[in-house]
Amino acid sequence: MTTAVTTAGPKIAPVPPEPPPAEPNYLNVSYSLWSWLTTVDHKRIGLLYLISISVFFVAGGVAAGVVRLNLLSPDGAFVNEDTYNRAFTGHGVLMLFFFLIPAVPGVLGNFLIPMMIGAKDLAFPKLNLASWYVFMVGAGFGVWALLAGGIDTGWTLYPPYSSRSSTSNVIPGVFGVFISGFSSIMTGLNIMVTVHKMRAPGMTWGRLPLFVWSLYATSLIQLLGTPVVAITTVLLMVERVAGIGIFDPMIGGDPVLFQHLFWFYSHPAVYIMILPGMGVISEVLTCFSRKNIFGYHAVAWSSMGIAVVGFLLWAHHMFVAGISFYSALLFSFLSMLVAVPSAIKVFNWTGTLYRGSITFQAPMLFGLGFVVLFVIGGLTGLFLATLGTDIHLHDTYFVVAHFHFVMVGGMVLGYMAGIHFWWPKMFGVMYSDWWSRVAAAIIIVGFFLTFVPQFVLGYHGMPRRYPNYPAEFQVYNVMSTAGASILGLGYLLPAFYLPLSLVFGKKAGANPWSATGLEWVSPSPPPLFNFDEANMPVVVCGPYEYALGVDQLGRGLPPGPGLGEANDPASKSEAPAAPGPMKKETEVVG
Amino acid sequence: MSASTHSPVLKHHFGDLGQQHASERLGMWMFLATEVLFFAGLFGAYACYRLWYASEFEFASAFMNLKIASINTVLLVTSSLTMTLAIRAAKLGNKSGLYTHLLLTFALGTGFMVLKGFEYAHDFHESYLPGEGTFVHSNMQTEAVARGLDTGKVRLFLCFYYIMTGIHGIHIVIGLGCILWLVQQAYANKIPPENYSTVEVVSLYWHLVDAIWLFLMPLLYLAGAHLKVGPH
Amino acid sequence: MANPHTTPATATPPAAGHDTHGGHGVIGHVDSPGLLFVVFLVVIGLFAANVAMSTSGALGKYTLFAQLAIGAVQATFVGLYFMHLRHGDKVVVLTALASVFWMGILFVLFMSDYMTRNRVMG
Repeated sequence: MTTAVTTAGPKIAPVPPEPPPAEPNYLNVSYSLWSWLTTVDHKRIGLLYLISISVFFVAGGVAAGVVRLNLLSPDGAFVNEDTYNRAFTGHGVLMLFFFLIPAVPGVLGNFLIPMMIGAKDLAFPKLNLASWYVFMVGAGFGVWALLAGGIDTGWTLYPPYSSRSSTSNVIPGVFGVFISGFSSIMTGLNIMVTVHKMRAPGMTWGRLPLFVWSLYATSLIQLLGTPVVAITTVLLMVERVAGIGIFDPMIGGDPVLFQHLFWFYSHPAVYIMILPGMGVISEVLTCFSRKNIFGYHAVAWSSMGIAVVGFLLWAHHMFVAGISFYSALLFSFLSMLVAVPSAIKVFNWTGTLYRGSITFQAPMLFGLGFVVLFVIGGLTGLFLATLGTDIHLHDTYFVVAHFHFVMVGGMVLGYMAGIHFWWPKMFGVMYSDWWSRVAAAIIIVGFFLTFVPQFVLGYHGMPRRYPNYPAEFQVYNVMSTAGASILGLGYLLPAFYLPLSLVFGKKAGANPWSATGLEWVSPSPPPLFNFDEANMPVVVCGPYEYALGVDQLGRGLPPGPGLGEANDPASKSEAPAAPGPMKKETEVVG
Repeated sequence: MSASTHSPVLKHHFGDLGQQHASERLGMWMFLATEVLFFAGLFGAYACYRLWYASEFEFASAFMNLKIASINTVLLVTSSLTMTLAIRAAKLGNKSGLYTHLLLTFALGTGFMVLKGFEYAHDFHESYLPGEGTFVHSNMQTEAVARGLDTGKVRLFLCFYYIMTGIHGIHIVIGLGCILWLVQQAYANKIPPENYSTVEVVSLYWHLVDAIWLFLMPLLYLAGAHLKVGPH
Repeated sequence: MANPHTTPATATPPAAGHDTHGGHGVIGHVDSPGLLFVVFLVVIGLFAANVAMSTSGALGKYTLFAQLAIGAVQATFVGLYFMHLRHGDKVVVLTALASVFWMGILFVLFMSDYMTRNRVMG
């Protein structure tokens, strides 16, 4: 445990000189499209993921827009019921399989894991590139399914509707999910092996940044969960093609078995989505409160706890599907258990913030938003884990609001925080401080307005996935759609100021946030093999020594953004928040 | 350890060959863990129905071709032995031994698939198929009805039979492809002794496919071996 | 776990008496063909026992249990000797055990539903 920041003594290590810009760096070493499509550099592959998942995020967002707009009026505002079904299925499939699951592991994980542990690359660079291609092939099938008219089963694809009745494009969609699952396995495998075998000298397990721990836990779920959904989708496709299969009630098959197999993966999959976000938040909260994380080991092991316990509670999705009462009781109890590691994380983040020297740059705003929204999403999850209340709330908008608080309020904000935190590292430029703060504020406000009314709707019994509803629900639906519009606007802003920063943004130094991780040692953007090859890093201390004012190599930290002097909270309390990070940047020399 | 830090087979992002081999092995083991879970889904589904419909499943299993399956088991276990000997040959730098054992493994695996083909042909011939239209012509249907069993659940077993052996067969074919690739690599002098781990990772996969068969065998072929029915 | 650069598990000196091709330290343990052949015979023997036991039906309702037990022993032999789990890194052994453990999770919780599905409360 570290001492509180306020008692931090004088600097214990000199601030190193700003490293000269890497020539060439990973971005300008070559420019041809071919060099990008055949790259085995983990940083470039991370950017390939960034571009592709951004496209799917927009497509999924458009589908969400169709859903929300149609719900403006009780009888459907502008599309028919069938189109509505296809819109919410498209939204679910795109957002879950092609955005949320690959988002942080694919983009930030690929980019940062080798840098954070002091390695030149992931353990299997070619496998890493293959994972992106496999993802794109899977996504291609998904897009085919959508362009051919979409799927109308919901993203959960329950038989017998999906295997017999549905006339929509189930096969290409399911096949896309099957294939993109392999990409997820490849990424997870690569990250796990890398963390085990490629750590720099001195980078012990107890010194790994918490982002690495959380991605390690994520990868564990990807490795052990994804194959189960793969076989499930195979069984579903076989049944649909052959007209007979093991979920077929006509021959004694049990459609609930599909739900068991499906949720064996798909419940842990929500932890695939949220855990990386939690890792990002641990990095961001420590950096912008200038404190060591409160309870490092508790946070690290709670990630592993979530990964393991997350596998034990899938059947709470099936309480009203006809499973055994005894089993339902067991799963209800087990579902409560996952609240423990989740709460450990939240308490420790709060402990980290306590008496920290907090500044409110965009990553921190997103990070604080994450904590608040995740708490609400997590607590409402307990309503659904409780067997009795779940009977009332099951398949209502309460569920929709709950998982959007976790998935969007949690994960998407976590992703945004991560992108904003590491953007200067990725591209060597700083985006607009003002606009990024505005975007964070708009997103958080829009989010609340979208999903709080849905809790009310669900509690009063509006079922999810229905295109029509009684007139008395209209006011809440209109509020929700209004909120979604604000949310959409909030998401649009980064789509402008981030790309614009590539051209007009001020140059960012190696360590613009005065952070402690190894990724900040290299110049921004980093060189081809991340570090000076003659001088690979040797780690001497833990990942969050903000109180001591040293990075993981034991060198002093440059002044942080918004702080007159790093590790000197007194100067902060007198003159807070004056400049954005850019003004300070140029002073960090010598 | 200069030999291990300056070998031509050392990839640039690893510090030494020990690290490279350990990473490759661990990577393959993690992939095997996903394979185990992939089949666990199938086995779990099988377990649920076996629990519910035990008599139908045992009945249907008695019609499966135990003779061919037994020969196949021997072939597959033998191929595991030759595959392990191939690693040994690679470690010792014994190139002709490496060829011999790889090709032997390939031959045994191919033999497995050929026999499997004959077995499927036989099943088709006897109409042991899950589709209702063909199944009604089989002696399985007649006998199931005579014993008062639910023919739907008998066909459910056949679904499992084809899906499980089919997916296992696909794994065998992939393994055969990998073995051929190893032969080509050995021919191109890309498997010196310090790069034996290439052979080892393929062998790990091959052994797993073998181990899975060791469970498919009792679940699909031996479940009803004690019953006095079927084409014995 | 120790740092991989300081204690690479595969770089441990090979067992005495085995050819390690000039002592690179990266070849590790070389199998003895005799031992492999014995393992092969054990696995085949267990298979024969399995067939005999299943065909006789002597164990009645315990047949399935016995069959799976034999399969598990066979798989253990394959894992330890053919797949070299005997000489595996700690993390490799852990990976193998984890896959079995997770399969156990799937089985136990599936069974919690399927064994009690039709039981009436009270």
